Amino acid sequence: MLETVTLERRQGAGAVRAALTYAGALALGLALSLAVLVAAGVPTGALFNELVVQVFLSPAGLARTVTMATPMMLGALAAALCLRLKFWNIGIEGQLWLGAICATAVALYDIGGPLRLPLMMVAAMAGGALWILPSALLKMWLGVSEVIVTLLMSNIAFLLLQHLLFGPFRDPTFNFPTSPVFGEAEKLARFGWGDVNGGLVLALVAVALAALALGRLRYGYAARFVGDNPKAALALGFPAGRVLLLSILAGGAMAGLAGGVIVAGTEYRLTQAVGLNMTFNGIVIAALARNAPGWIPLVALFIAGLYVAGASLKVFYGVSEGIVLIAQGIILLVLVTAQFVTTYRVRLARGVVA
Amino acid sequence: MTKPVQTVAPALPGAPSALRIFGASKRFGDHLVLDGVDFDLAAGEVHALLGENGAGKSTLMNILSGIYTADAGRIEIEGAAVSIAGPSAAVALGIGMVHQHFKLVQPFTGRENLHLAAAGLPLVPRRAVVEEQIAAVVKRSALDVNLDVPVARLSVAEQQRIEILKALLLGARILVLDEPTAVLTDAEADRLLALVRDLAAQGHAIIFITHKLREVLAAGDRVSVLRRGRMVLASHAVEDVTRDDLSRAMIGDQETTQRRRSGSTPGPVLLEVTGLGVRDGGAAYVSDAGLSLRAGEIHGLAGVGGNGQRELAEAILGLRAATGQVALEGRDLTGLSVAARRRLGLRYVPADRSADALAPNVSLAENLAATLVRTGALGRRMVWPSRVRQHAAAMVQSYGIAGATGGGRRPVRLLSGGNAQKVVLARELDRDARLIIAHSPTRGLDVAACAYVHERLLEAVARGAGVLLISEDLEEVLALSDRISVISRGRIATTPDGRPDRAQIGELMLGHA
Amino acid sequence: MMLAVTAWLGAMPGFMTPLLLAALGLLLCERAGILNLGVEGVMALGAMVGAAASLGGFGPGQAMGLGALAGLAVSVPFMVAVIVFRAPQIPAGLALAAIALGASAALGRGAAHMPFAGLAVLGWFDELEGVPVIGRMMQQDGMVWLALILAAALGLWLARSRGGLRLRAVGEDPATADASGVDIQLYQLGAVAAGSLLIGLAGAYLSVGGSNIWTEGMVAGRGWIALALVVFAQWSPLRAIFGAALFGGAEALIPRLQAMGVEVPVYLLSMLPYALTIAVLVLMAFSKRARQAEPGFLGRAYIRQDR
Repeated sequence: MLETVTLERRQGAGAVRAALTYAGALALGLALSLAVLVAAGVPTGALFNELVVQVFLSPAGLARTVTMATPMMLGALAAALCLRLKFWNIGIEGQLWLGAICATAVALYDIGGPLRLPLMMVAAMAGGALWILPSALLKMWLGVSEVIVTLLMSNIAFLLLQHLLFGPFRDPTFNFPTSPVFGEAEKLARFGWGDVNGGLVLALVAVALAALALGRLRYGYAARFVGDNPKAALALGFPAGRVLLLSILAGGAMAGLAGGVIVAGTEYRLTQAVGLNMTFNGIVIAALARNAPGWIPLVALFIAGLYVAGASLKVFYGVSEGIVLIAQGIILLVLVTAQFVTTYRVRLARGVVA
Repeated sequence: MTKPVQTVAPALPGAPSALRIFGASKRFGDHLVLDGVDFDLAAGEVHALLGENGAGKSTLMNILSGIYTADAGRIEIEGAAVSIAGPSAAVALGIGMVHQHFKLVQPFTGRENLHLAAAGLPLVPRRAVVEEQIAAVVKRSALDVNLDVPVARLSVAEQQRIEILKALLLGARILVLDEPTAVLTDAEADRLLALVRDLAAQGHAIIFITHKLREVLAAGDRVSVLRRGRMVLASHAVEDVTRDDLSRAMIGDQETTQRRRSGSTPGPVLLEVTGLGVRDGGAAYVSDAGLSLRAGEIHGLAGVGGNGQRELAEAILGLRAATGQVALEGRDLTGLSVAARRRLGLRYVPADRSADALAPNVSLAENLAATLVRTGALGRRMVWPSRVRQHAAAMVQSYGIAGATGGGRRPVRLLSGGNAQKVVLARELDRDARLIIAHSPTRGLDVAACAYVHERLLEAVARGAGVLLISEDLEEVLALSDRISVISRGRIATTPDGRPDRAQIGELMLGHA
Repeated sequence: MMLAVTAWLGAMPGFMTPLLLAALGLLLCERAGILNLGVEGVMALGAMVGAAASLGGFGPGQAMGLGALAGLAVSVPFMVAVIVFRAPQIPAGLALAAIALGASAALGRGAAHMPFAGLAVLGWFDELEGVPVIGRMMQQDGMVWLALILAAALGLWLARSRGGLRLRAVGEDPATADASGVDIQLYQLGAVAAGSLLIGLAGAYLSVGGSNIWTEGMVAGRGWIALALVVFAQWSPLRAIFGAALFGGAEALIPRLQAMGVEVPVYLLSMLPYALTIAVLVLMAFSKRARQAEPGFLGRAYIRQDR
């Protein structure tokens, strides 16, 4: 099959080729996604209004988008920090749920007095880091695939979440399985612009710190070496194991913080719907941002925009929210497929064409 | 350009021609790898082909096996002009290659590998037919090897026999063996030579590529020598040539080897290795190895690859757990991390640059600055990229690293082999280097780059550092070393004066001394 | 107690079958060197299509066939991406999972929460009904038997046939297979296509054979368990039967324990299969043999230049 062409690995793609490939893939992915939307019954004429005006240009819409993007930035950091060391964190949801659970526990059991809110955030990060720890250790000690372990840990976390919501955390005055609503001291401050809250500051600070650590601290250099060639890093005396573990735990902590930001910033209680699809969102955003923290906020806004638009399309045109997942899947698939153009050179096979 | 005049010895009287190559040329970029090469092979003949690394042997054989096409020249097989369009065409023409790196699926049994290979036959025969053919080939060639255990569990020699069976099963009449004895023990090599003679007696034509003159004399009918892409000695009867003729043809008219360094005054003992052992799983890579090295000295460690060199180097650096003792300037290194050992002045130039020394996708500048970044020399917490680039620019200039455009921002994998090695040297041969372990530091480099690497190592020694030069290249070891040891199956040995000559080294390599 | 064991063993094959089918599908992909993380979504789509077809008047066999075909259809872009264009398999697989999950949610809204007639128990072993323990266990639908036969046939094919030998070579050492004239991409396409059919079928069995109703999220991580099951089975279809029995048995245990009034909260009990899976992965990591069973080229992209 395809015997008429041979592939060669490119030594290095020029910046122009790389940029064009990226832009082309993004455009193609978007176009295909729009085609899916139209096929699902959204009139072509309404697309611009629904996907751009209502989501990014109207103040209320932009506020919704920014609020939605806040935990996504943290989820994307959770994916990117791990992926820079070639560790596939496919259990972001699990770490997020643990973070949300820990933050909720701090709130429900009134721990920490005046430091309640900061403690909730710290607990959220600790919960996320704790939940990723087994996959990190199993990978480092025994070479067990982190792909499967992080996935399974998510399933366990979800069951734990349900257990708590139907049991110890349940708000008895309410029919649905949710925790009681938090008190005022347990909520992140709002800025008077929709639901945009202090979580945004936390997320942006986290992004800035990650960018600083990777770009300027000795840790970042070590991480690049360990991620690219652990053997060489060891021979140069870099503490490869410590760097790897630190990065993975930081990733888990970011996912946990996302959970904390959701419960303390927007939901004000723990529910089953917290952080749904965040694993995939995080990985898509990290892939689109090429694991560079600096690009994450922008890309997160874009993906959050899809969700906000999806919610309104559901109301106005009866389009399922599953469409948003499809659109993201298409964009990611086109993007990774397009790497072909920058990785390989196609040549006609010898003897077929002179 | 006139070719060196050579008298071509006739093949075995009356033997039909199996293969003729006329004027084969091949160019890669600016580099003329093969320059009008003629070659002649008769049925029933073992034709030894000699040449140093980079002489063009593999290119010639790749043309024969259809991996490359020649830019010019003509190939005749059994008297008929042919064009070898690809690997399958080569197989169809009856050419069988036994590469140095075996093409066997490791978890498969020998039989499964043979069945898989049979799938490449033009008219794919039925399973039972393949079974019969395997039995017939095994019987005819008298190759005995267990075909029903996974190949991974067989010895290298046994795997090699399966490779030969594979070639025969595919109907090879011309067999090309690419340095087949390099990976074998002496007894195994002898057995292989006998087998090769048997196969020739059955009418196969065999090209036997080797470095070792002993094997040429023992098993060859005729011999040819390639040097820098030209056939400098074409199809001589083995009886008519002497060892001297062959080594002169291989190396050229310049004096063979002369020790460049002698009589330097050695300093105090720098490195003292005693009773070092490295085991991994069941295998012992290094056993009871001892070695000492003085400041201002190059200690050459010769030996055939895969005899524990890598494991020894990694144990000294602290990358591998080991028993025994390693002391640097009298200080016991046991229990120290790689970083701590490097702090004491230990440096490492590994054999495989891209796998063990460089981060290929990380920028040139960061690769150059890696150790300085790690130790905090470029900033205790914050490392400004501008400082990294400054350091890189200085190194690029003083080591003449070519291809470092854009302030060293490009990934280091884009550099050529010689320039990549300069990056490693620039990093490892700093002022604080006390002991440099250089493992095959010139492997795969061109002549100019080799000379450059040697110069830099000698400079480091002149500054008072010590170099442990681990190399398979005997000429390199002889030319640079003050003292020489030999590693063979994980054991290190030398002569009482520590200066074995070529013949003594040969014996030590065989573990005879 | 006896009654509970009988009931447990009787329920086990129903839990085991979707895991076995999905594991066989993944095993085929992985033997060709392709890691397919789309499994969870493809199963979800198979389950939805099977349910929708059943509600639309198709018989159970046809409905499951359609579920399998849906699994194949949704996997085509993934196949093109990773096999033809050598896209990285992990993100491409996750993208497939998202597309298939999204599609099952978007297309399946009309089919949710509507019961239908599913697969019936085969009457072949009715006379064994009275035999203690085993009798109840033999009362299964045809898919249970078919899955077992498939596993055995696939095991035989991989071990004994020329095609199986070549497929194993493709996942193990594509350079050598290529040198022997095996068309790497053709084998990969065939393996992933067949694998996707089986994964779709596994999903369809969940709704048509198991619950006889479709709800979003009913796959509930079974795809990921199947992924681990392949590791547990050391890439052997016959061992996959035992693995599926083990995991299916753990799943079947949960309602039994509840029925027996065991005082463990239901959600914590439900963690059992997942925790068991991780435990098994850890155990396998200690076995050298198991580590070596992994196809040598799993998850990597082969191009001829590398030969």
